[in-house]
Amino acid sequence: MPDSIVSIRDLKFRYRGEKKLALDGISLEISKGEFLVVMGASEAGKSTLAACFNGLIPHYMKGAIKGEVIVQGINTAESSVPQLAQNVGIVFQDFEAQLFSTNVELEVAFGPENFAVPREEIGRRIEENLQYVGLEEFRNRAPFTLSGGQKQKLAIASVLAMQPTILVMDEPTTDLDPISKQGIFDITNRLRRRDDLTLIVVEHETEEALNADRIALIKNGKLVQVGTIEEILKQVELLEELGVMPLGIPKFFKKMGYARLPLTPDAGIETFHQTGWHISEDKYTQLLDKESLTAQHDDQPIIRCRNLEHTYPNGVQALKGIDLDIYEGEIVAIVGQNGSGKTTLVKHLNGLLTPTSGDVIVHGLHTKEQGVFKIGRKVGYVFQNPDHQIFSERVYDEIAFGPRLREVPTEEVDTRVKEALEAVGLTGFEEEDPFSLTKSGRQRVAVASVLAVQPDVLILDEPTTGLDYTEQRSMMEMVRRLNEQGSTIIFVTHHMWVVAEYAQRVFVIKDGRILLKGMTRNVFAQEEILKASYLRPPHFVQFSNKLGKTFLSPDEMISCIERG
Amino acid sequence: MNIDFYIDTDTVIHRLDGRTKILLFIFSFVALVLFEDPLFILPVALLILLENTLARAWVNIWRIRFLLLILSVSGVIMWNLFASGETHLFWFVDLESLQYSLARTMVILLMIISGMNLLSTTRNEELVLAMIKLGLPYRVGFAISTSLRMVPTISSSIYTISQAQRSRGLDLESGNILERIKKYVPLLIPVFISTIRSTNVFGMALESKGFGARDDRTFYLKMDMATRDYVTLTFTVAVVVFCLYINFLDYGNIAGLTKF
Repeated sequence: MPDSIVSIRDLKFRYRGEKKLALDGISLEISKGEFLVVMGASEAGKSTLAACFNGLIPHYMKGAIKGEVIVQGINTAESSVPQLAQNVGIVFQDFEAQLFSTNVELEVAFGPENFAVPREEIGRRIEENLQYVGLEEFRNRAPFTLSGGQKQKLAIASVLAMQPTILVMDEPTTDLDPISKQGIFDITNRLRRRDDLTLIVVEHETEEALNADRIALIKNGKLVQVGTIEEILKQVELLEELGVMPLGIPKFFKKMGYARLPLTPDAGIETFHQTGWHISEDKYTQLLDKESLTAQHDDQPIIRCRNLEHTYPNGVQALKGIDLDIYEGEIVAIVGQNGSGKTTLVKHLNGLLTPTSGDVIVHGLHTKEQGVFKIGRKVGYVFQNPDHQIFSERVYDEIAFGPRLREVPTEEVDTRVKEALEAVGLTGFEEEDPFSLTKSGRQRVAVASVLAVQPDVLILDEPTTGLDYTEQRSMMEMVRRLNEQGSTIIFVTHHMWVVAEYAQRVFVIKDGRILLKGMTRNVFAQEEILKASYLRPPHFVQFSNKLGKTFLSPDEMISCIERG
Repeated sequence: MNIDFYIDTDTVIHRLDGRTKILLFIFSFVALVLFEDPLFILPVALLILLENTLARAWVNIWRIRFLLLILSVSGVIMWNLFASGETHLFWFVDLESLQYSLARTMVILLMIISGMNLLSTTRNEELVLAMIKLGLPYRVGFAISTSLRMVPTISSSIYTISQAQRSRGLDLESGNILERIKKYVPLLIPVFISTIRSTNVFGMALESKGFGARDDRTFYLKMDMATRDYVTLTFTVAVVVFCLYINFLDYGNIAGLTKF
């Protein structure tokens, strides 16, 4: 290829101390101005590949390397990371750890400063790039006072200030809420139109890959396929097998046995009308009837919030009067942007926070009078990041921590650990070191350690963030199983498809108030109101909404289709 | 938790160059430690308090009032143990040692106030750049500014971790000292692990931004010594020289004081 800007030839890499190859014979040509998305399961080698473009591999991360990476004619092995930095910029997933300065402007200046760019030119680049990402008004702020999305935008601006010809982004949106994600995607979209910039993005969200030129699929360090969006995204089964979420619309048509697969909601509607299929009113009514049966509660709610308000010591009022009931055996999702108050809300449900006004009543008792130690026995809380709670050398001790603190007898602790491990699918892992497990493994240990206290209600804060599609599915299947075994589940999430497929009821929180609540189907039918909270249902739900009915999964819709 | 003392306003002191302010801090230290007699410390003390008022930094002094109070009380008592005199007052306290204690306590308080003036009026990055311009190697300066940057990150992860462990039943408030120390293990290990994990990304991001790509680098932050800086420094040097001269003439000591 004449205008190839990166060429990777039979690249193999093994991390020092590991037996398995992290990259196993990758060959790839990337042309100038292209937008390439790299997808694959966790640990497939995506981040390892991303680290090869600017020489972090083999210079920073040590290991055995074979093959070569040529970037703009330079063999990365013969250069150094700081040298390559002039051509290749990289943005990492962890937005916290890639900012060095105590001031936004200086953060952007940092890269050009290192290359002794003249002062006036640096000033111009700060201006240009802060404006590009929309952070002009924050120029004098300390980066740590910014939100996650703003930090990631700043990271992008600070890399763009070095005027790279290649920009690599390693899961830039994984830890962000939907509105911040959208902000980053908007930037990516503008960047891709620049023909002087080649974009390489590692991404989990398939719906966001639709703007790319090509997708590369990676599995076990091997390049499985690289092709155009159409070519790749229509292979529903292949994607699922690789741990990549397939789009709901092609999945539906594929399952219906249709040959020409549309990708987007609009294309889906067009194709649907061509098929001559229609949705059976009877079956849809049956579906709704079945659902309304589960929605009836004659018992008392186990958690009640009455006019709940919370004002933080710094004067910020995070909750402005919330009324919410949770009934036994439910599975409820709480959604909203970061800063909407949803985390503050759920922290009230186990007594971590107490209302500054109003009441939270759990099992008939006011949380104000109980405190987190007592309420925690009934209401377990799994924090988002398992690394914020794991501290033991053995999985067993980690899970036994809660029961031991509550002075459960030793034999009883044994059985509880065993049961908890079984529930999360980690039987036999008692003696393992939790830190050696994958992210999803550690997530499961965290869930098990809360389960071992045997709470009736389980709160999960973003249980699927940072996991790949297969792991997300199996995490949520596990949550559903726990629910079927009697646990009441409340989960906070940014993943709308998880809400669609797993929650019975949804609360949408905005600015400290409940914007919308109800059965998942009814909530997702109101796309306009959701939009006010910068949330949007998955493509598939949007597609069914356009057909006048709300279906939460392809399977649900298939059960109501009549051909004819 | 916020440990940033910088006050974002515009005062005469704010406008001084970072180097001037660092030198001011060092010179006031020199002028303060010369004398044993509190009366001789008083003029410099008034100058420092004047600087504090000009900088509108009293809010920060108020923030650390308890620390200052503890230091005052304990200082006035403790320094008596390290000196004795001829005029006995009570217990281990003599008139001369009491004077000396007062002077030492004043020195400590004034050094803190003077340091607070520096922090209240100088941004972290200006402070670090000033140190570099005064001869500190760039890499050392960068390390200092990085550790300042890390403080809010680490303190917010400590907050989250303590909430996570409290939710699991950890009760940090009960038990004797030994038991309480043991209870901090579930907090400290996750803090260390998550900090180390992010340090790895930090290092990669640093190299990826061309850190150390070449020997020279630009400093975007501009620092210029202006007339006001030279005036301030001249005045300060004059005061210090005067103090040294008085000290050389043997004034400012307490007659009959024996230090241990």
